[in-house]
Amino acid sequence: MMRIFYAVAIGLLCFFSCADEDPINLEKVLAGGSTSVFAEFSNAFQFPAANLSPIELQNHRRGDVAFESSFVTAPSQINAGLGPIFNQNSCVSCHGKNGRSPFPDSENDLLGLLFRVSIPGINIHGGPKPVPGFGGQLQTKAVFGKKSEVSVKMNFIEIPGSFSDGEAYSLRKPIFNFDNAYIPLPGDVMISPRIAPPVFGLGLLEAISVEDILKHADPIDLDKDGISGKPNYCWDELSQSLQLGRFGWKAGQPNLLQQTAAAYLDDIGVTSPLFFEESSKHQIQYDGGMDDPEINNELLSLTTFYTQSLAVPVARNQDDPEVLSGSKIFDKIACGKCHVRNFKTGTHREFAFLSNQHILAFTDLLLHDMGDSLSDHRPEFEAQGNEWRTPPLWGIGLTKIVNGHSNFLHDGRARNFQEAILWHGGEANQSVLNYKNLSKKERTALLKFLNSL
Amino acid sequence: MKYLKSIFVLLSIFNFISCSKDSIKPAVDYSDVLSNSTNQVIINTYKDLNDKSKLLLIAIDQLKSNTSTGNLELARLAWRNSRIPWEQSEGFLFGPVDQQGIDPSIDSWPVNVVDLDAVMASPDVLNKTYVDALEGTLKGFHTIEYLLFGENGNKQLAEFNTRQFEYLSACTQSLNGSTQQLFDAWRTEGQNFGKNLIEAGKVSSIYPSQKSALQELVDGMITIADEVANGKINDPFVQSDILKEESRFSANSKADFADNIRSIKNIYLGSLDGSGSIAGFYTLLHQSKVSLHQKIVNQIEAAIAAIESIPGTFTTAITLNRPAIQFSQDQVRALQLTLESELKPFIDTF
Repeated sequence: MMRIFYAVAIGLLCFFSCADEDPINLEKVLAGGSTSVFAEFSNAFQFPAANLSPIELQNHRRGDVAFESSFVTAPSQINAGLGPIFNQNSCVSCHGKNGRSPFPDSENDLLGLLFRVSIPGINIHGGPKPVPGFGGQLQTKAVFGKKSEVSVKMNFIEIPGSFSDGEAYSLRKPIFNFDNAYIPLPGDVMISPRIAPPVFGLGLLEAISVEDILKHADPIDLDKDGISGKPNYCWDELSQSLQLGRFGWKAGQPNLLQQTAAAYLDDIGVTSPLFFEESSKHQIQYDGGMDDPEINNELLSLTTFYTQSLAVPVARNQDDPEVLSGSKIFDKIACGKCHVRNFKTGTHREFAFLSNQHILAFTDLLLHDMGDSLSDHRPEFEAQGNEWRTPPLWGIGLTKIVNGHSNFLHDGRARNFQEAILWHGGEANQSVLNYKNLSKKERTALLKFLNSL
Repeated sequence: MKYLKSIFVLLSIFNFISCSKDSIKPAVDYSDVLSNSTNQVIINTYKDLNDKSKLLLIAIDQLKSNTSTGNLELARLAWRNSRIPWEQSEGFLFGPVDQQGIDPSIDSWPVNVVDLDAVMASPDVLNKTYVDALEGTLKGFHTIEYLLFGENGNKQLAEFNTRQFEYLSACTQSLNGSTQQLFDAWRTEGQNFGKNLIEAGKVSSIYPSQKSALQELVDGMITIADEVANGKINDPFVQSDILKEESRFSANSKADFADNIRSIKNIYLGSLDGSGSIAGFYTLLHQSKVSLHQKIVNQIEAAIAAIESIPGTFTTAITLNRPAIQFSQDQVRALQLTLESELKPFIDTF
């Protein structure tokens, strides 16, 4: 019954146009293809894909409950398994309203900011080498009676700059320090701050074929355009092989199941059949593992499905002249070389609603050199310290409405779109230079375009 | 938890893109409705929450200093009273309550009983600063509820000890801090989040248009109807699992659900006393939608009445009065459907 309803609605969309107006180009609006929803309010990232079947909708809802569930210390009759060390006690604690975490304004509550760690060398799969006693991530909270791995201290440096027209700007660089470590951190530890990104539209990114992603790859810049596009190949637990990375700030996760299981483990301290050993194993705070895995395959699958089946909000004001102008500037200064607008998803092996969708994600899912200023100096599989995966830009203009802030980049340092642009370096140096040479009017148009996504 | 929402949101795309040039419509100013919703409903609800939370602290400190059955019952009553404005605020769970991370400090569930027991057994000094630093699952309404009413809702005075009274007081002081933060975040004299609704469409607001601010309000109503019908009632009911019931310790679930529906009523009518304000949300329906207006009012009242008519507690009704729960769930779903399929599409045409 619902399917019919959708079909009718989509049919109306396809055929309707106002007689006395230019028809709207749907391809410029429906950023998530048939999954798209129109929402310009705070729940914009919380809708199920518009083309789910009734059964899929039911599973989405069950996944929603799991995504919102707060875990508590075991044993408990409900939601047991928190910690013993963790960053937050639920998925939504970091991904509020399924959106982007703000940069924390207090060291006492880091919100969706966490720190990946490793020491020089690689693990048996070619990934980051865990820090003895700390693993691959610093857990900054602990259940009662245990000790968080570290406390975080933040300081900031303001870096002044100016545009070609003389207008001044300032960039905020965060400096993180760590104390109260439960055991001393080794001197050669490499630390990478990461902010929680939005989680909508991820199923569509997962549904893009490897071949289509690799079409944009140019790791040694054979076409000499200054833009590389390097695939990361990371360890896939299920297939026990290296696979193309798609998720995470360095494309260090190959699929959403593994991304979800890793987040349960490292962020919440909840073990699953995929990662059934506590993050604290081999540490003095290990809880003994008597209750592992703490969630079953069904719950892990439901939470994963929730992130696969969230709708993408439509782009807005695409016929506004200033937005159109900004869109042209976006291309002119080569933002779109990495923030690739269009993809058509392939055939998803499980879910038809994700298949063959024309999407406007503004990412190539590849790694790019972003320069020393953004480098975390910590390799992750094939990603070097200065290399980051192009993040999608869809829905980015709704961040303020949904999450109440405009903090961007991998650690949330940028306080607005403009600062995010200006922090780009490496392969994006020329684009940033071009941006700085734009007139105020042109810069404003580009920012307005970003705000329309 | 958006069961039916996707269909109607998809339809709203149709409204959104089909005739996008507003110039064909006369400009209408909705600032009176947005201002009334903000000042008369939202901010006043948060003020009430803050006031009741302070009264709860007075009652708990009274119980702490003079332990008696009478004072225990007064503290429990004060908890129920403070719960009312909180539940009546859940029709507008946007803005600071979410964006400033306040919700987990007020309404986290479930209670982390293992850690709570460990805190009680520890030598730690229990004060507001201490509780402020704890996870949400160790503070807020449900932790206070657990300590006041007990696991089975029949906690006796003899089961309390000094540490529990200290923790109750510290926990309620922390709750006061959160309700004050929330109130201050909205009101004009504070961070003035309310201006985002009132000044929607201006550069001073996060909402690009008055329409998007109105959509925020109507979506808030739909979201809580969905949450009550398909989450709060549905999960313990369908799974016959009382552990999934949120206010089980106090047997306050029916009141919680009814007050959630009243949060819809308050926004819709534009007042906290059940009378329709001259600038209530319902006035947007004008005379052309009189029947829809009456339908919404009737469905709100029917949902509240059905919930309050469930015999006994919600916990016992899960086993003994399932048809009554089913009926109340149906009533809330009917309201949700109307809000989603009729009210929201109408606002989308603005």
